[in-house]
Amino acid sequence: MLRVENLTVAYGSVQALSDVTLEVSSRGVLHGIIGPNGAGKSTLMDAITGRRKPTQGRVLVDGEDITARPVEWRRRHKGMSRSFQRTSIFPGLTVREQLELVASQLGEPGLDEIVDAFELRPSLDLPADSIAYGDQRRVDIALAMIGKPSLMLLDEPAAGLSTTETISLFEHLVALVRHRGVTALVVEHDVDAVFRFCDEVSALDLGRLLVTGTPAAVRSDARVITAYLGTAA
Amino acid sequence: MSAVQGSLPSAASASTGRAPWLRPALLAGLVVAVAGIFLPALFTNTYYLGMLINGMVLGVAAVGIGFLMYQCGLVMFGVAAFIGLPAYLVGIGSAQFGLGLGAAVLFALAGSTLFAALVGLLVVRARPLPFTMLTLALAQMLKQVTMLQSMRPLTGGDDGLTMTFNGSFLGLTQAELGKAASFWPLAWLSLCAVVLVVWLVSSSRFGQVLRATQANEERMRFSGFNTYWPRVAAFTLASLLVSVSGVLTALNSAFASPELLDFATGGHALVAMLVGGAANVLGPLLGALLYTWGQSAFGATGYLELLTGVAVVFMICAFPKGAMGFVLQLFGLLRGRGRK
Repeated sequence: MLRVENLTVAYGSVQALSDVTLEVSSRGVLHGIIGPNGAGKSTLMDAITGRRKPTQGRVLVDGEDITARPVEWRRRHKGMSRSFQRTSIFPGLTVREQLELVASQLGEPGLDEIVDAFELRPSLDLPADSIAYGDQRRVDIALAMIGKPSLMLLDEPAAGLSTTETISLFEHLVALVRHRGVTALVVEHDVDAVFRFCDEVSALDLGRLLVTGTPAAVRSDARVITAYLGTAA
Repeated sequence: MSAVQGSLPSAASASTGRAPWLRPALLAGLVVAVAGIFLPALFTNTYYLGMLINGMVLGVAAVGIGFLMYQCGLVMFGVAAFIGLPAYLVGIGSAQFGLGLGAAVLFALAGSTLFAALVGLLVVRARPLPFTMLTLALAQMLKQVTMLQSMRPLTGGDDGLTMTFNGSFLGLTQAELGKAASFWPLAWLSLCAVVLVVWLVSSSRFGQVLRATQANEERMRFSGFNTYWPRVAAFTLASLLVSVSGVLTALNSAFASPELLDFATGGHALVAMLVGGAANVLGPLLGALLYTWGQSAFGATGYLELLTGVAVVFMICAFPKGAMGFVLQLFGLLRGRGRK
């Protein structure tokens, strides 16, 4: 369903992403992306979602080349949604207002289900910027979940959350991914959560793709251990 | 599952929470609008009525730019472009094209709005500060155009354009439009219409889209919203509302000069909006009334600029949310005490 071909992104003379080719063929899977800081994980997300134009390479969804399409087109026509490393919500609006606004745009009939899945009902009528950080993260991901996306790209969804909150978040994600048939690409530094909850994992280092495979295979890969996990992993 | 697609059921739902006070508010607004028509009966001195009219006309422009600032976070420094241009177009439509006054007014509003839409396609792409300067440059360019020797037959050059209207507008002849008492209902009802439009648009989904875009444009795009066209539409609408002020000015004075396109003209509206506060639709109007009164009172002392500067600095420092923000805060406090 998602294929990235020879993707390269350069910031001036620095290549943040070099010739990355990656394929996620199944629906309803959680695909983790790991790697050390500066590996190119967020740049890969940006290039796939259209936030950053690749220097070369293509992004294909269901066989269609969408490399030149704008962000909002990808969301409306290809169901490609995104959450960010830093929480990205609408500060002046209540949780309800922003969920309803996005739902009305994308035609989401099951907003109640999303609200309950992310336990947002108690904070529905509060300004989104006044609720706890963990709740804001859940609003962020709930916004990305609206409109029955077929492909979600989540950039460090557990950043700033406690271990308990992280586990709870991933459990919610797995349930929604399975239930709604969404494919989710998750960039995450919490490798234990990635290896525990993801179906597939890709490891990046210095802008290059090291390996893609099952969590067990990636965890035992010598290149991943050297570049990121260390011998203690 | 929700009863309505994309909405969550709740007694305090954003879409239904307004219902209890919506009807009384509209009714009160209608009563005020009708009663306001008869306000001149209270004035024995036409000077004060004239001052009030100036405040209303300034208020129309201030409400227009307040809308753009509150909804989109864009400050239009070139307000004068959309005051001066329609004013000139009323005169040009009447003199050059022989239009009746009603048609000349429509021609002026349509021409100014079309111009705003074309300009909007370009300027709303800019970040807030460049946007501000682009609109200022636009007004200054228009001012220079009116003063070109080659434009003199159309605009009257430095001397300005004295207008002779053909026929009447809403039953008012040129002579009646020039008199405060007979011009008042037109100015008042125009202001009411502008306030109503801004209130309706701000309360609509379109208004919410604009505010959400201002709050987080990137999230809006990732939520499937085109963020460009709504801003173009908001800029065009704000310019149309400001243009009403320009048309009123032309109708009342039957004169347009390059000074109408000067920064100072727009500056009055901008200061009025800041003094009144843009967070409420009536804020810029209150600011315009205070500003017009201040201009009259300070002008009488001979220290107009000095006292205006001191007053504006005081108002902005003392009431960061504007005079209307202060009034609403006060109202909230009193209501809170009343409940206790």
